[in-house]
Amino acid sequence: MTYLISCPGCGDRGVDDYRYGGSVLKRPGYNDDPELWDSYFYLRVNRAGMEKEWWYHRMGCKQWFIAERDSTTNQVHVTYWPGENK
Amino acid sequence: MAKRKNLTQSPVRQGNRIDCSREIKFSYNGRWYQGYKGDTVASALFAAGKRIFSRSFKYHRPRGLTCVSGQCPNCLMTVDGVPNVRSCIQPLSQGMQVEHQNAWPSLEHDIFGMIDRLGKFLPVGFYYKSLIRPKLLWKIAEPFIRRMAGLGKVNLKLEHGDEYNHRFLHTDIAIVGGGLAGLTATVEAIKADADIILVEEQPCLGGTLRHRVQDIDFPELPGLSAQEVADKLAETVVSSSSVSVMTNASAIGLYEGNYLGVRQGNELVKIRAKQVIITTGSYQIPLVFDNNDLPGVMLGDAVRKLIHYYGVSPGNKAVVVTSDDNGHGLAKDLAEAGVEVIAIADNRPKPDIDHSGVLENPRVPVFWDTSISRALGKKHVRGIEIVTSKEASEYQAPLKLKCDLICISTNSQPANSLLHQTGATIEYDKHTAQPLVKNTPAGVFAAGEVTGIHDKNLNVLQAKVAALKSCQNLGILRRKKQLESLIDELEQLEITSRSLPRVHCSQTVPGISDKRIVCYCEDVLEKDLNQAIEEGFRDIQILKRYSTVTMGPCQGKMCSAAAIDICARATGTDISQIGTTTSRPPLEPVSLGVLAGSVHTPLKRTPMHNRHVNLGAKMVQVGEWLRPHSYGNVWSEYQAVRERVGVIDVSTLGKLDLKGDEAAPLLDRLYVNRIGNLKVGRTRYGVVCSETGVILDDGTISRLAEDHFFVTTTTGNTESMESWFKWWSASTNDCVHITNITAGMGAVNLAGPFARDVLSKLSPIDLSNEVFGYMGNVSGLVAGVPATLMRIGFVGETGWEIHFPSEYGEYLWDSIIQAGQEFGIRPFGVEAQRILRLEKKHVIIGQDTDALTNPYEANMAWAVKLEKEDFVGRGGLRKIKGLPRSNKLVGFVMKDGTVPRDGDPVIDKGVAVGRVTSARYSPHVGRGFGLAYLPDYLAVQQSDFIIAVNGLESLAVIVDQAFYDPEGLRLRG
Ligand code: FES
Ligand SMILES: [Zn+2]
Repeated sequence: MTYLISCPGCGDRGVDDYRYGGSVLKRPGYNDDPELWDSYFYLRVNRAGMEKEWWYHRMGCKQWFIAERDSTTNQVHVTYWPGENK
Repeated sequence: MAKRKNLTQSPVRQGNRIDCSREIKFSYNGRWYQGYKGDTVASALFAAGKRIFSRSFKYHRPRGLTCVSGQCPNCLMTVDGVPNVRSCIQPLSQGMQVEHQNAWPSLEHDIFGMIDRLGKFLPVGFYYKSLIRPKLLWKIAEPFIRRMAGLGKVNLKLEHGDEYNHRFLHTDIAIVGGGLAGLTATVEAIKADADIILVEEQPCLGGTLRHRVQDIDFPELPGLSAQEVADKLAETVVSSSSVSVMTNASAIGLYEGNYLGVRQGNELVKIRAKQVIITTGSYQIPLVFDNNDLPGVMLGDAVRKLIHYYGVSPGNKAVVVTSDDNGHGLAKDLAEAGVEVIAIADNRPKPDIDHSGVLENPRVPVFWDTSISRALGKKHVRGIEIVTSKEASEYQAPLKLKCDLICISTNSQPANSLLHQTGATIEYDKHTAQPLVKNTPAGVFAAGEVTGIHDKNLNVLQAKVAALKSCQNLGILRRKKQLESLIDELEQLEITSRSLPRVHCSQTVPGISDKRIVCYCEDVLEKDLNQAIEEGFRDIQILKRYSTVTMGPCQGKMCSAAAIDICARATGTDISQIGTTTSRPPLEPVSLGVLAGSVHTPLKRTPMHNRHVNLGAKMVQVGEWLRPHSYGNVWSEYQAVRERVGVIDVSTLGKLDLKGDEAAPLLDRLYVNRIGNLKVGRTRYGVVCSETGVILDDGTISRLAEDHFFVTTTTGNTESMESWFKWWSASTNDCVHITNITAGMGAVNLAGPFARDVLSKLSPIDLSNEVFGYMGNVSGLVAGVPATLMRIGFVGETGWEIHFPSEYGEYLWDSIIQAGQEFGIRPFGVEAQRILRLEKKHVIIGQDTDALTNPYEANMAWAVKLEKEDFVGRGGLRKIKGLPRSNKLVGFVMKDGTVPRDGDPVIDKGVAVGRVTSARYSPHVGRGFGLAYLPDYLAVQQSDFIIAVNGLESLAVIVDQAFYDPEGLRLRG
């Protein structure tokens, strides 16, 4: 785990500058089934390949952003602020 | 201490590393010796006549200098108290204390040497097989085995202090290895103005050019000797301002993102390089034959280093065992150094063309088509046995010769571990018997002998191409044409070089003895490997794990080629199909101190820190903060708060400022309580839970304006709450500005029956109950300082929490103390606060809760508003509420005079079923009291339960309400 991630605000930094925030998940709705909530709590796909992930620049600007990373190569293809849907 | 009178004089020597005008005195096993500046511990000891440098791991066989390059385990010594130092690369320094290890009483006479003769009873997998039953057997045997096996001993008393450091560097190109290829690549890259770091593990640049001193034909510097070529290139490199050269620096790992770890002395240097060129070269490896680890058997390059670096004579009568021209050059070196070369045993068939004068040294008989079958001698080489590989031979076999030095100059192994780590494709090439680098990942290049190609002209070309390609990647290449023509030239040369005949010398020479060492580190014998393979461990990976071959300190550098050779032969597999054992960082032994570096834990001080210190407070570390534990007397601090007035520094509270139209909905979402309906000027206590319903934090929320909130978090959770708040804000994409103002704001809590009197002396704010009631907040001046005041029930008395800009900390503190003088004010510390708050049954997050606690267990069910619209944790809490509760946090008072400690167990029927989370003596109740988790069936109101206090069972009774002022009249007063 020594690859670089580019914070959309600060630029390239070593991965230990950041905190991993998990994959981007869809949160179930207020009235959704408990089963759906259970899988939202505990079940992760752990995809081998491209994944959209949350990252927090804890040692820098202290902002969350989204990175698209290949979990098999640790290649980060693109990073952007949430809401800037790329 | 060593005795000076035993000083051994060493003769003046001629070596390119040492400076004979600067003597260095050091002690070895209590006697003083002398070396010169530039010597290593080993070269000085060798010059002083020492030949045995260590005893082997398992059999305690004597071992001498073998590689003189820090690759093998044979010269490990304890230097200045640090065990397992490779003495052949450890620079000598004045007054150094050197000791041998793993032998008693001395290396020359080691009692444990008898184990060598018991070898038959110590087969491979010995521990796994023989000491299994009865179980007691292993218990008895283990301490003995541990004492006899192993290397140096760690000196637990040794103080290291802050001498370990980490350093971070950034560069365009990192070049690892400062030999011919590395220097050439550096010179090329300089021309393109790249920023370069050159990492070299030796004290000087030049690599093999410094000890393999035959002439080389270097196209750009014709007619120069190897030394002169090295000097010329090194000069260009060192004088360039765009290169920083690191010597005595070994690369220990190359990680993703071209992150290169380099150990330099006690420093770990972490280099982030845009491009990496690996030019780590190759190193010679030993052969397996009878008695192959006898002191006096040395690698050819080791001998050359002793001669050329340190000016030490490696022996008197030498035999060179070789399979290439390199060995003949070595013979010349030896002769020039005054060593009598008895013979050269060359593995190659006698050449058709007469090479005499070039290859054959006329005075030295060359035995073609032969190899060494045995080293003769007990503690040192006294002779050699040579065998021919041909059936019908012109020599009588075996041939015995007398000598005291055997130089093994046969096979070389590319130092390609770094490349392996990057995931480069490396394939075994049958034709050259070398692992060839086929492909490297983007941004990583290899050049020189590390690629498996041993041809100086090719290596130079490779280096130039690698440098230019790196520059191309960096976008700074100006000479595109040149790169193209170099690539063409390289391809041409590669084709011609492939057609040249090669001789590969087998890694093992058949023999008869028991002691044919494959792995020096772990004393693994050839027969051990054969036996393991017979037992079914046929795959190199499991063969390694079972026999421990390649698993010692040298990480397989010396033995993996031989192990693969033996494995291939014994299993009838082609070498190229065997694969290799995985090479992982670190490439060489690195002390844990270097990896850990020095400890730089940040310590935070509050704005009033100096006041506490001046008042004689006992400071304690709470998370990252220093806080006053007490100012001397906890009980009088307690008493002041309950009876008069007290003030405490609470600047360590986390403070978040939230602004924006969507701040209220965000807080409603983050807290399990209702926040949205909080009125401006009001403050509320709130609980934050995770999605699964675990308590994360608690604190106060104050609404300063419609769109402006001020939130406090517990001291230790500031950072995590900041990121938690920001994540929810980001993921819902709302418009809230969240600012962590913890460091910018100081805070005190002023509490007690006279708190209002003190504060009204300092502030124009109306503090009356009617205007500034309980759980209200007001912004205004205190002692002229702009502040936000919150009236909360912190310790259960009338009180205000005052937040103000940090800069005013000492001034405000002084003002409050002064104003409170007439009311008998006292500052109180965290210990008094703990008791005061515990009497109010306040739960401390992280102390009375853990990573699984939910509000229903921790008596916080009242805060959870499941009926409000969606919030974080609702799903989890809804589920938890439907399940039977297993534990409950209850308040208790002891029935006897005991006071439990935090963490004491709750006992039911002799079994621990719960635990005390907080306990103290309560001045109010007059007994020990606190909070404890009980299983739900025990948590019945007013019933008794048992706590083991100091191991003795004591009775406690459950108390449902707060211990002090349960109606909360005092804090509202
Ligand atoms: S002789 Fe020192 S490590 Fe090999
Ligand atoms: Zn950033």
